[in-house]
Amino acid sequence: MQFNIDLNRLQKSYRIIQAEIHPDKFVSASQIEKNQSLIKSTEVNDAYQTLKNPIKRARYLIKINLNSEENNSTLPPSFLMQQMEWEEHLESILEQKSELEKFRLLIDGEYKKNLSSLERVCDKDKNWDGALGILNEIQFIDKLNDKIIQQINLIETK
Amino acid sequence: MALLQISEPGKSTMPHEHRLAVGIDLGTTNSLIASVVSGEVSILEQGNEEHLLPSVVHYSSSNPIVGSEAKNLQIEDPKNTISSVKRLIGKNLSDIDTKFYSLDLKDDDGVIGIQTDQGIKNPIEVSSDILKKLKETAEESLGNELYGAVITVPAYFDDAQRQATKDSAKLAGINVLRLINEPTAAAVAYGLDQNKEGNFVIFDLGGGTFDVSILNLSKGIFEVQATHGDANLGGDDYDQVVFEWLCKSNKINVADSKIKQKLFALSREIKEALTNKDSIKINEAIDEKINIQCELSQQEFEKITKELTKKTISSTLHALRDAELSVSQIQGVVMVGGSTRMPCIQNAVKEFFKQPLLNNLNPDEVVALGAAQQANILAGNTNDNLLLLDVIPLSLGIETMGEIVERIIPRNSTLPVSLGQEFTTYKDGQTAMIIHVVQGERDLVKDCRSLAKFTLKGIPPLVAGAAKILVTFQVDADGLLSVSAKEQSTGIQSKIEVKPSYGLSDEKIKKMLEDSFNLANEDKESRALSEVKIEGSQLLEMIKNAINEDSDLLKEKELNLLQETLGKLKKSLESSDRNHIEELTKQLNENSQSFAAKRMDRSIHKALTGKSINSLEL
Repeated sequence: MQFNIDLNRLQKSYRIIQAEIHPDKFVSASQIEKNQSLIKSTEVNDAYQTLKNPIKRARYLIKINLNSEENNSTLPPSFLMQQMEWEEHLESILEQKSELEKFRLLIDGEYKKNLSSLERVCDKDKNWDGALGILNEIQFIDKLNDKIIQQINLIETK
Repeated sequence: MALLQISEPGKSTMPHEHRLAVGIDLGTTNSLIASVVSGEVSILEQGNEEHLLPSVVHYSSSNPIVGSEAKNLQIEDPKNTISSVKRLIGKNLSDIDTKFYSLDLKDDDGVIGIQTDQGIKNPIEVSSDILKKLKETAEESLGNELYGAVITVPAYFDDAQRQATKDSAKLAGINVLRLINEPTAAAVAYGLDQNKEGNFVIFDLGGGTFDVSILNLSKGIFEVQATHGDANLGGDDYDQVVFEWLCKSNKINVADSKIKQKLFALSREIKEALTNKDSIKINEAIDEKINIQCELSQQEFEKITKELTKKTISSTLHALRDAELSVSQIQGVVMVGGSTRMPCIQNAVKEFFKQPLLNNLNPDEVVALGAAQQANILAGNTNDNLLLLDVIPLSLGIETMGEIVERIIPRNSTLPVSLGQEFTTYKDGQTAMIIHVVQGERDLVKDCRSLAKFTLKGIPPLVAGAAKILVTFQVDADGLLSVSAKEQSTGIQSKIEVKPSYGLSDEKIKKMLEDSFNLANEDKESRALSEVKIEGSQLLEMIKNAINEDSDLLKEKELNLLQETLGKLKKSLESSDRNHIEELTKQLNENSQSFAAKRMDRSIHKALTGKSINSLEL
């Protein structure tokens, strides 16, 4: 399996499978079939989410290739510095919507940059330890992005 | 000569019969029921050629009065006349704003109790009386017994509100085929009607609730991308603002509940009149002392309700962001719910999406129509290929140290969904723990909605941190949560239905059901026996067919075991020994679990390889 996948095809396969096994197809069926349909349909949703989301997909790929769930790699000091800088910046603009929007674009750029390195390291270099390092960074970036969005939502609902 | 009916392998052996299935829109202000009759979907009339049944129940004599007649008694007898009960369902007293009600509300064992001349009524009973009335309407006008119903709920309803809605249907004796979200039902009505494709926004502002859902429609598949809303925002709130404006501009201080009712009714009339007028003059005597004289313009109305409209737009923005879509990627905006008739809402939404709105179907009826189409499909009356993939509207989490919420299932996850989380003990020899499940997006427990606390007992006494308890949270296709727990080292399994902390217990529901049927003991027994027999023979048929089709999936030993249990069950079905039939049915169920799983895998495989010939064209 590769990191770079055909998302269109993934969606089509997902829909074909759900059309077959979704609990809606078993409303008048026996209890065992209902149970099985619930279990399978849940599994398929989980698989689809894992493959659709690039971060989850990378985590899964690394897990099966490194054959372990352990994550001992530490972030390089330069990224830690960057992390602190970003956190401080967010703190200073919490109430400013336009600044938050601007910051979000910047973080989104970082996210995309990391995503393409992840693709290179996974599909070309097959360097799973390297991939793990990038994964840790991109997870932080993703969480930061969520925080920014949450803050924007908060301002809007006030 | 009667023709011999031979069913297709794997399908039911019963001859095809049309099952009476309906869609019910159980609304805050009005309820509707619809059905597909000879291929055409339509709203069933409530007598007097009315489509809408006011969601109002009056309790002053032993038989509750439901609908228009009850609504007419609202001003005269407000204490015994319950309206907008949907705002109360699945909640407790501290959750609600009593200013909306001229009712005598109290706490009744964790749920809200409404004191009437007929005793204390809880919201589940009141909803159930509305549902019973709708069921009667359907059975009378269609001349058949109801097989089942799809009931719609606001997408933003939480687990407790969904569970309470399902309980009220149970109490009304309705088989719930599925709870579906109102905006999704509306999308079905539009999508099926017009064969639409692409990303659609459903903007649903009802009497008491607001939902916005974003769906991707493609060849019969309706995949909800994100949903947002406010379970306490609707037309009623606009009435409330007009009411406050009336009081303020006429310097009235209302204490009397009859006058309050009259002013509320007047406020609603004013709001509705402004739908197609630029301005309205009010000159009305409320009683001997109070005479209202003023004028409200569309512009002024828009101004005083601005904050409410703004809330709907920010919810919409929120949903778009969750769906990772921008305004330009939206192919259509569907307006649903009577309150979307307000020009200020129409304008605000049009301006936000920069495109004309889809409102050619009646906004009051579209939800019930969609629900009826889905009910018809779920009941197996049609071969229409349609699949609704809906999401959980609010994140589920559990309380951890320091009253912080640990998120378990994020909002907008496609249903059904489940997640396991491992817990451990923090004291030596600890044998029990409490898990507190909450729903909401905030980080602190107090800011989220508490769904249930449940105790996990029977943990083997080990040193702190040694026990590993896997707790699984499963949300089914109705959006309802169940929780199960397993101690990993000993495999002790406890299945706990998560009942909302303030909902009704299973026993109470059962008792209410029994009271409502009022059956004699022998009736109960014969009813129970026939239920067990039906279940047993259905399972028998299903397994027999399954063996005919897929016996190659079984090892000889497994096949023999199944055949043997089948034989025993078949024989027991001829007897009247309820416990024996029940026991054997349970046994057959257990023995065929893995067979059922293998068959499901085979059908997935078949579907994928079958379609791959056409390069996965859907």
